[in-house]
Amino acid sequence: MISVPRVRALLRKELRQLFRDPKTKRMVFGAPIIQLLLFGYAVNTDVTRVATFVVDHDRTEASRALLDAFTAPGYFQVVGRSARPADLDAALDRGSVAVGLWIPRGFAADLAGGRGATVQVLVDGTNSNTATVAQGYATRIVRSFGLARAGAGGTGAGGANAAPLPTGVDLRTRAWYNPDLASRVYNVPAVVALILILMCFLLTAMTVVRERELGTLEQLMVSPLSAGELMLGKTLPVALIGLADLVLVVAVAILWFDIPFRGNPLLLLAASAVFILASLGLGLFISTVSNTQQEAFMGMFMVILPLIILSGFMYPIHTMPDFFQGLTLLNPLRYFLEIVRGVFLKGAGLAVLWPQLLVLTAMAAGILTLATLRFRRTLR
Amino acid sequence: MIDAVRLLAMARKETIQIRRDPRSLALAFAVPVLMLIFFGYAITWDVDDLPLAVVNEDAGTRGERLVDAFTASGYFVVAVRPARRSDADGLLVRGSVAGVLIIPPDFSRRMSAGGPAPVQFLLDGADANTATIALNYAEAIAGRWSRDAVLSGRTVALPADAESRVWYNPTLASRNMIVPGLIAVIMSIIAAMLTALTIAREWERGTMEQLASTPVHRLEVVLGKLLPYVVIGMADVALAVAVGVTLFGVPLNGSVLLLAVLTLLFLLGALGLGIFISAALKSQVLATQVAMVATYLPALLLSGFLFDIASMPAVLRAITLVIPARYYVAVTRGIFLKGVGIQVLWVQGVAMLIFATVGLGLATLAFRKRIAA
Amino acid sequence: MSEAAIQARELTRRFGDFVAVDHATFQVQTGQVFGFLGPNGAGKTTTIRMLTGLLPPSSGVARVAGLDPAAESRRLRGRLGYMSQLFSLYGDLTVAENIDLFGGLYEVTGERFRARRAWVLEMAGLEGQEKRLTAELPLGWKQRLALGCAVLHEPPILFLDEPTSGVDPVARRAFWDLIDALAEGGTTVLVSTHYMEEAEYCNRLLLMNRGRVIAEGTPGELRARLETPDASLEDVFVELVRREGGAVVG
Repeated sequence: MISVPRVRALLRKELRQLFRDPKTKRMVFGAPIIQLLLFGYAVNTDVTRVATFVVDHDRTEASRALLDAFTAPGYFQVVGRSARPADLDAALDRGSVAVGLWIPRGFAADLAGGRGATVQVLVDGTNSNTATVAQGYATRIVRSFGLARAGAGGTGAGGANAAPLPTGVDLRTRAWYNPDLASRVYNVPAVVALILILMCFLLTAMTVVRERELGTLEQLMVSPLSAGELMLGKTLPVALIGLADLVLVVAVAILWFDIPFRGNPLLLLAASAVFILASLGLGLFISTVSNTQQEAFMGMFMVILPLIILSGFMYPIHTMPDFFQGLTLLNPLRYFLEIVRGVFLKGAGLAVLWPQLLVLTAMAAGILTLATLRFRRTLR
Repeated sequence: MIDAVRLLAMARKETIQIRRDPRSLALAFAVPVLMLIFFGYAITWDVDDLPLAVVNEDAGTRGERLVDAFTASGYFVVAVRPARRSDADGLLVRGSVAGVLIIPPDFSRRMSAGGPAPVQFLLDGADANTATIALNYAEAIAGRWSRDAVLSGRTVALPADAESRVWYNPTLASRNMIVPGLIAVIMSIIAAMLTALTIAREWERGTMEQLASTPVHRLEVVLGKLLPYVVIGMADVALAVAVGVTLFGVPLNGSVLLLAVLTLLFLLGALGLGIFISAALKSQVLATQVAMVATYLPALLLSGFLFDIASMPAVLRAITLVIPARYYVAVTRGIFLKGVGIQVLWVQGVAMLIFATVGLGLATLAFRKRIAA
Repeated sequence: MSEAAIQARELTRRFGDFVAVDHATFQVQTGQVFGFLGPNGAGKTTTIRMLTGLLPPSSGVARVAGLDPAAESRRLRGRLGYMSQLFSLYGDLTVAENIDLFGGLYEVTGERFRARRAWVLEMAGLEGQEKRLTAELPLGWKQRLALGCAVLHEPPILFLDEPTSGVDPVARRAFWDLIDALAEGGTTVLVSTHYMEEAEYCNRLLLMNRGRVIAEGTPGELRARLETPDASLEDVFVELVRREGGAVVG
């Protein structure tokens, strides 16, 4: 019951309109690039070059060595020094530094005498994430500095007991998939998902609603065009654009951002196709409840925001309260993200990812069916 | 030369139109509430109860003591205990655990001998942020347990240690970080969207031309249009502050008055910008889209709200200098968490003032061709 | 006599409490040019929508080309042409691309399409303008193009909803010449308009006001209802409404 010539005529018209519209070109090429840049560079939870203020009351070789050890790994960057602790306080208040290091007088002496030298580390807690990580780094650096000095100097802690320094547990850590623990490795693959859902959702909704707004939809409805043919005509071009964007984003991710791609591209393609279907369905659905393009845009915004937040896109799911974790189970984006990250970073194949793919397929089918039914009904 | 009567007439008309447009109103209040709920509850970086897989091959009992230390910390939960190391690999691939702790058979023996006793800790590095935090926690836990276990009885100080204190947000609750910044983000979005929506509608309907034929002054039009939105915006802020303090328990250590004044400046600037966008674009659809991209995205990603500006590349850091939300986030965080006053925030205050002037100026300019001075 | 091309019996459409079309009953014979006359809000568009199957009636029955638009709209579509009141062509497509689209939608292909395409271009006076964007055309040309697209597939019945709105009088005259030509070719044309002087061009007229049919007949018959033989149809209309006891709305 689907007439190929009719669908072809519709497809030709849609593609012509899409590519003649300057907005489309902006969206199709501009949006992915901008998002890649933003999420590749701005969305950065790596703790590096944290602005640090130093008050060194000891001014010995040992304290200078500590400072070198502190800044060497690159986590901290000294941007201010003073002899007055009040300056440190002011710098923290102003927000020009996030960490303050205060080395008291007698540091070197305590260190040499095995009395346990202590420094003060002040951390600005307003960015709790950075603060937690910075705190950890600072403590680790100071402690290993002490242990290294003590080992080299030969004076074990314990003073009179002079036993060899107990070492105890030697925790050997290795981070799989992302040894440098760079946050962009987590964020950039996710942009694939973001682009697809934005593009397909938005384009579908807008093109359908625009026809309704302009009145041309009526002309189509009076023609022998069936609802199914109209849907195909509206969604196929968008799907093609989505796939083109997929290739673009993956290419930039791999070539520019050096994101590893360890898995099977076909699996990614298949999952993307299913996800595109789900996004198209969402777009169709919104188009049935919007009378103007304005409303379509707002509706899309309202839906996409929770979808993105509750998907593991920027924030891990396992730290959310149980209620919200439950909500994420209903979110197709969550499953697609797991597949994307699995394919990129973990080299995971169908054997591991089949549950996500299954759920995603079921969701896509469900959303499309619902959207189609509503669409047919509103055309009557 | 602003006539108060004409100004109020404009403001009254605008208010009536807003009242009659339920969508705008819903937007003005539903969006902030929604965002507060999502960002306040759903999103947190507070890491606890991270699922851990433990492969304990230890012949003795001390391995289990180490595992207890991990769970006692509250940061980790033992989710699964595979029998073999190889089983653990699959768990990491599937992402069901954040880390795998592998204790070798000779662990207890080596610990009794005083060490070193290697223990493997594998992390799922895909989620870099959680992994980094987990890494630090694990090292701290292992280190502390190790000293207690080995020394049991002897008091030994580490050669060097750091005593750290956290300022402004001692519990390091991510909520305290998110909620004040969120207010800034909400304000940006609401201001730009509202004005873009309503003003563009007026251009499209041609009523702007009608206005031009009356003796109304450009500035009166702008201010008259702004007035109701300023009221709505301040109401939104009050709502957000109330929710933040009462529901989320975010401390409010600074001056509410200062917050109100700086918020007013920010609103004026953001609203002015919204008017300018919609006047320049005239199409409602395009105005909304541009408003979103020009205000929402930067406010969300580049204002320091969630992601540290200091960690961004230099180019982006430079860009943030012209994003008003950046200064407003500093204001909200400063007043809520740091309790600082104008002596510290005067920099941001000046920025807000500049922003308000520029915003209003642009808005007034936008009417230049249509409405004579 | 063969079955009438268009029949409506007690056709009614309600929107909540508002009655947009109130028990309209009329017939249109094949090859006639039938005019719906009435001010804005009279119910003309709603009636046309019911006849084309775009809107189901609340009650009453219609038959178009022997089919019931409410129940058999799919079968009906290939047999009718429709020009909507709102502009129905795509402004961002060229003249040729719009014609292509309609060809595809109605499955007019191959040799037949080429012939029809040439016919539309000639009839609309757009030969040589195929690559112009439709939005750039003056209104009169746009209307002619829209008419051409509506009859590309040579339907036996044509519905035109206020096709000459906003067009200058000269172009309007030219448009009606086209309608006459189509009718002479055997097409049944149902046109709605609120320009009273255009009523003269129709074979029969239906006067509507506020959803009700207040008169039906040839222009001559309607004028005869008034005692003055050279009254304008506008006078006729106002008078008939007054006799009904209502006021002209719109």
